Amino acid sequence: MDILNQLLGGFAVALQPMNLFWAFVGCGLGTAVGVLPGIGPALTIALLLPVTAQVNPASAFIMFAGILYGALYGGSTTSILLNTPGESGSVMTALEGNRMARRGRGAAALATAAIGSFVAGTIGTLALTFLAPAIAELAFVFGPEDYFALMMLSFTSVAVVMGRSMLRGFTALFFGLALGTIGIDTQTGQTRMVFGSLELLDGISFTVVLVSLFAIGETLYVASRHGSAPAAVNPLSGGSWMTKADWARSCKPWLRGSVIGFPIGALPAGGTEIPTFLSYALERRLTKHPEEFGQGAIEGVAGPEAANNAAAAGILVPLLTLGLPSTATAAVLLAAFQNYGLQPGPLLFATNPDLLWGLIASLYIGNVILLILNLPLVGIWVRLLLIPRQYIYGGIVVFAMVGVWGLSTSWMDLALMCGLGVVGYVARVHDFPIAPALIGLILGPQAEIQLRRALAVSQNDWSVLVGTPIAATLLGIAALVLIVPPVLARLRRRANAEGEPAASAG
Amino acid sequence: MSSMKNGSAAAGGGRPWWLGLAILVMGALWLNGARSIASTTNYVGVGPAAIVLAVGLGLVLLGFLLIVQALKGQLAPPSEDEEEAPFSRPAFLMALAGVCVPLATIRWLGFPFSAMLAFTLVTHAFGSRRTLLDLGIGALIASLAWLGFSRLGISLGPFFPLLG
Repeated sequence: MDILNQLLGGFAVALQPMNLFWAFVGCGLGTAVGVLPGIGPALTIALLLPVTAQVNPASAFIMFAGILYGALYGGSTTSILLNTPGESGSVMTALEGNRMARRGRGAAALATAAIGSFVAGTIGTLALTFLAPAIAELAFVFGPEDYFALMMLSFTSVAVVMGRSMLRGFTALFFGLALGTIGIDTQTGQTRMVFGSLELLDGISFTVVLVSLFAIGETLYVASRHGSAPAAVNPLSGGSWMTKADWARSCKPWLRGSVIGFPIGALPAGGTEIPTFLSYALERRLTKHPEEFGQGAIEGVAGPEAANNAAAAGILVPLLTLGLPSTATAAVLLAAFQNYGLQPGPLLFATNPDLLWGLIASLYIGNVILLILNLPLVGIWVRLLLIPRQYIYGGIVVFAMVGVWGLSTSWMDLALMCGLGVVGYVARVHDFPIAPALIGLILGPQAEIQLRRALAVSQNDWSVLVGTPIAATLLGIAALVLIVPPVLARLRRRANAEGEPAASAG
Repeated sequence: MSSMKNGSAAAGGGRPWWLGLAILVMGALWLNGARSIASTTNYVGVGPAAIVLAVGLGLVLLGFLLIVQALKGQLAPPSEDEEEAPFSRPAFLMALAGVCVPLATIRWLGFPFSAMLAFTLVTHAFGSRRTLLDLGIGALIASLAWLGFSRLGISLGPFFPLLG
C-alpha cells in the first residue's frame, strides 16, 4: 500500500491552507477562462508562468492543475449555453447540450456536464494515481535511444492526429522544431540560427511562442471578422434540474466516457478530440432514445463531457512519467517544470514525491472545488459572457504583453510577439494546428540531446537507435502512424472507385 | 466592399501558394545557417549543425509540397462558417497596430501607457468608438496589472520611463 501512503502524504501537502488557497485560485481562474471565448488553459498557464519565480513549485502546480480542470468545467458551460465550444474537446458537448438549452433543459445539461466531469475527473485521477508510478518504474530502464524513439513517436502522432491534414501537421511541427534550434547549442556551446542577435542567444522563449500563436493570432483573427453582433446568451430558462430519468440516462454514459477517455488521453498523441468523438458515437449507438439525438439527448452531453475530463487526467500520465507532452496545455506544464529546473520523468517520483503527490492529491480536491463552484454558482460564471467582446480581447492583448514583457523586459520578445502573432493569424485562417509547433519547440531540443547522447554512447553506431526492443517497437509504431492513414485513404478511394457494390457493402 | 478584402485574407483566391513559399524560404534560411555552424565534431558523429540541416531539409520539402497542393487548389482555406463575418482589412490593421504599438512606445512610455494604447486600439478594431472610455479602462487594467505583477516580483519595467 505504498501508493496509498504516498497519496496520503500528497493530501497533507495539498490540504495546507496556502495550497488550498492556490487550488481555489486555480479553479476559479480556470472556470473563468473556460467560460470566456478566446482563452484556454494553455494560454492562462503560460501567462502565469512568470509567477513561478515567486511561488513554490507545489503551490504553483496545484494552481495550474486547478486551471487545467477548471477550464474543462467552464468550457462545457459556454458550449451548452452559447453553442461556441472554446476548445476542440467540447465540440461534441455543444452538439447536444445547446439543443437541450434551447428546449429549456439548460440547467439539466449543465448539471449532467458538471457531475459527469466530476465523476470522470475522479475516475481519471484514480487511474493516474495507480498507473503513473508503475509507468515511472518502467521508464527507469529507458535509455537515450528509447527516449529518442518515444519522442519520434510523439512527433509523428501529433502531426498526424492534429489538424486537417498530415501536411499541415508536419508543417506546424517543423516550424516548432526550427524555432527550437535557435540559440546556443547546449552540448557544444555553439550559437545556432541567431542571425547576429544577442537576444536570441538564449533561444526563443516557449511562453513568447505560445502567447503569440494563440492569444495574438486569435485576437487578430476575431478582430478582423467580428462584424456580427455578439451571440445572445441563452438564459437558464425553464431551469428544471436533472430528473430521475436524467440521472438514470446519465450514469452509464459518465462511466463509459471515463473508460474511453482516460486510456486515449494517456497515449502519446492523446488529446481530447478523439475520445469525445468516440464517446458521442458510442452513446448514439447504445441509446434507447435514438430519436432524441440531434434534438438534445442528455447522453450526448454526459458521455463526451466525461470523456473530455478523463482524457485530461490521462494526458498527465505521459507528462509526469516520461516528460512527454501530448497537448498544448501539457507542453506549457512541461515548460513550467523546466522553469523550476525540474524534468518530469521517473526520477521526479523519487526526488520530488511531495510535489508530484501533492499535485495528484490536488486533482481530487480540485474536482470537489469545481463541482461546488460550478453547480450552484453557474449563473455567476455566465455573467462573464456579458462582458463586451472588445474588452475581453483588449484585455487578452494586455495580459499577453504582461506575459511576454514580464519575462525579461526585452524589446526583442515584443517584436517576436508581433511577428509570431501574424504567423498565428495565418495558421488560424488556413487551419494549421498550433499544438504540433509547440510540441516541436519544446521536445525538439530534448530529442536532439537524446539522439546525440545515444550516438555518443554507441561510438556513432546508428544501429543503436533500434538496438533495444523498446526503441525498435516505438520507432516501428511511429512509422506505422505515418504510413497507415495514407494507405487506408488510398484503399478506401480504390474501393469507392471500383464500383458501387464495394462502397455500399461497407 | 469584400471582394478585395477576401482576396487578401486568402491571397491568391483558394490557392495560397505563398504559404509554401514562406516555408520554403524559411527552410533555405535554416540550410544556409547549418552551413555556417562550424562542425567541431569529435568522436560524436552528430554535431550541432546536423539538426539544423535536418530541419532545413524538412522545411524545404514541406514548403515544396505546400506549393504543389496550393496550386492544385487542395489547400483552400476551410469554408468559413456562415455565422462568421467577412474579413475586414481596417479592423485587422487596427488590431495589428494595437499589437505592434508597444514596440514603438514601451521604451519611452513604459508598460502601463503602452498597454493602454494597445488596449484602446484593439477595442477600436472591434468597432468601439468611445475612445476616452476605452483609454480609461485600458489605463486601469494596465496599471492594475503593473502593480499586481510587480507585487508578485515580476518586473514590468519602470512605470513611466520619461520621468526617470
